[in-house]
Amino acid sequence: MKSWLTQHSQALKLVLSRFKANLLNTLFICLAIGVTLALPSIMYTVLSSLSGLANNVKSESQISVFLSADQAVDTATAIKAALEKNAEVKSFKFVAKEDALKQLETATANNNVLSSLEQNPLPDAFFITPKNLDAASIESLKNDLAKLEGIEEVVVDGAWIKRLNYLILIGQKAMVIITSLLGFALVAVIGNTIRMQILTQQAEIEVSQLIGATKSFIRRPFLYLGALYGLIGGLFALFITYAVISVFNQSLNTLSREYQTDFSINLPDITSGSVVCLLSLVVGLVSAYFAVSKSLFKNIN
Amino acid sequence: MITFDNVTKRYPGSHEALTNVSFTINQGELVYVTGHSGAGKSTLLKLMAAIERPTTGTVLINNQNVSKLKSGTLPYVRRKFGLVFQDHKLLYDRNCYHNVALPLSINGITGQDAGKRIRAALDKVRLLDKEKAMPITLSGGEQQRLAIARAVVSRPSILIADEPTGNLDKVYAADILQLFNAFQQVGVTVIIATHDALGNSQNEHVSSKILHLNQGRLVKAEVAV
Repeated sequence: MKSWLTQHSQALKLVLSRFKANLLNTLFICLAIGVTLALPSIMYTVLSSLSGLANNVKSESQISVFLSADQAVDTATAIKAALEKNAEVKSFKFVAKEDALKQLETATANNNVLSSLEQNPLPDAFFITPKNLDAASIESLKNDLAKLEGIEEVVVDGAWIKRLNYLILIGQKAMVIITSLLGFALVAVIGNTIRMQILTQQAEIEVSQLIGATKSFIRRPFLYLGALYGLIGGLFALFITYAVISVFNQSLNTLSREYQTDFSINLPDITSGSVVCLLSLVVGLVSAYFAVSKSLFKNIN
Repeated sequence: MITFDNVTKRYPGSHEALTNVSFTINQGELVYVTGHSGAGKSTLLKLMAAIERPTTGTVLINNQNVSKLKSGTLPYVRRKFGLVFQDHKLLYDRNCYHNVALPLSINGITGQDAGKRIRAALDKVRLLDKEKAMPITLSGGEQQRLAIARAVVSRPSILIADEPTGNLDKVYAADILQLFNAFQQVGVTVIIATHDALGNSQNEHVSSKILHLNQGRLVKAEVAV
């Protein structure tokens, strides 16, 4: 146990001293890794904020059913009965056209316009909250409702939500593709750096093997090197993500205030931050392992 | 201690470097491996130090058959040896102290304990005052002595040197051989490969074994007194 600890602390010390000796080089490599990782991490943060927004609005999604302007009172009663029977309807609210006009009067300051109207332009309406909120069941409910007698128009409020969701889906696909492509680039960058390092230490590696160093003894510092590159690169990526999102949030806040809402992109929290660091550490470790296994022991028995 | 039994070594795509070589080296012996360049001296030393494995035949090191060992255990066998290479193989990116520290760090010895041993080894080869110097600033003889310090720092029971006096003038060569004799006198088995047919610089007081190679064959194994 003690010798195991000694071996690892020895390797780590060696790597850190090499880091110090090539500080500028190390920083540039870590920065390159950070920039590579920052792009998917920014995309992820933006997309998760947007889909959070979409989910929020989706739960309030409603179907509005507007009746034709001139029909008998019992049409509304018939529709009410049909809605009560429909299993897809969670709840509904009937707003008579007189009530709707009153609501409009209280909501708008400009009463002159309304009072100048000869007759109430508003129809009777049902506001329905569907039981299932997914796009397919909303669509079928909409079709069912349209078949009922005396209905002028069925409007799904969530239509734009649907579009936003599709956009987010496209964005997520793009993110997955970009992340995997950049992941490969990262493996190549770290692997190449490690290979260069192996080349510069060729003499030491050769002598060490001749005088009895085990493969793991030789491999260990390079694995630490890869893991550290990954970890520091991950921290750089987080820093870049924070900076970029903070800059955009300032403008987003101003913009969303114009729409009387309060929307901003969430900064990565501790969990997602550690996930980024851990992932990049693992990528660093794995690419170092491949680089070492490929170029270190090819000419040794 | 080291036993070769009908050992043949053939490198892929070339002739046999060693053919049917058999001999035994006992604890504490001083052994010279002689022969022209290309006679197979270096191959013989590599087989002894478990750096190469024989094509046929058996090599026993402390009663362990090298051919049968897993490649994972070979490094531990190699640690029993102190090796002085023909081309020194010093590391020019670090000072003398850290060159000598390498075998100890491979053995997991660090800190004060290592420091004491490193200084003792440097002292033995009279380089204690140069511990901070870079190897490139040392003379040929000093570099050779540094290589010896690195070979002995982990206190091996067998010391193997390939042409340790190869490119040194007579005075330096005698100096180096004196060092090896000193190690042999404290019980270390010393094996030296040399191309000059038993150099005149050899110490006459010491009894030694000679393995003379010619084109990969052992033509003479004798004890000189």
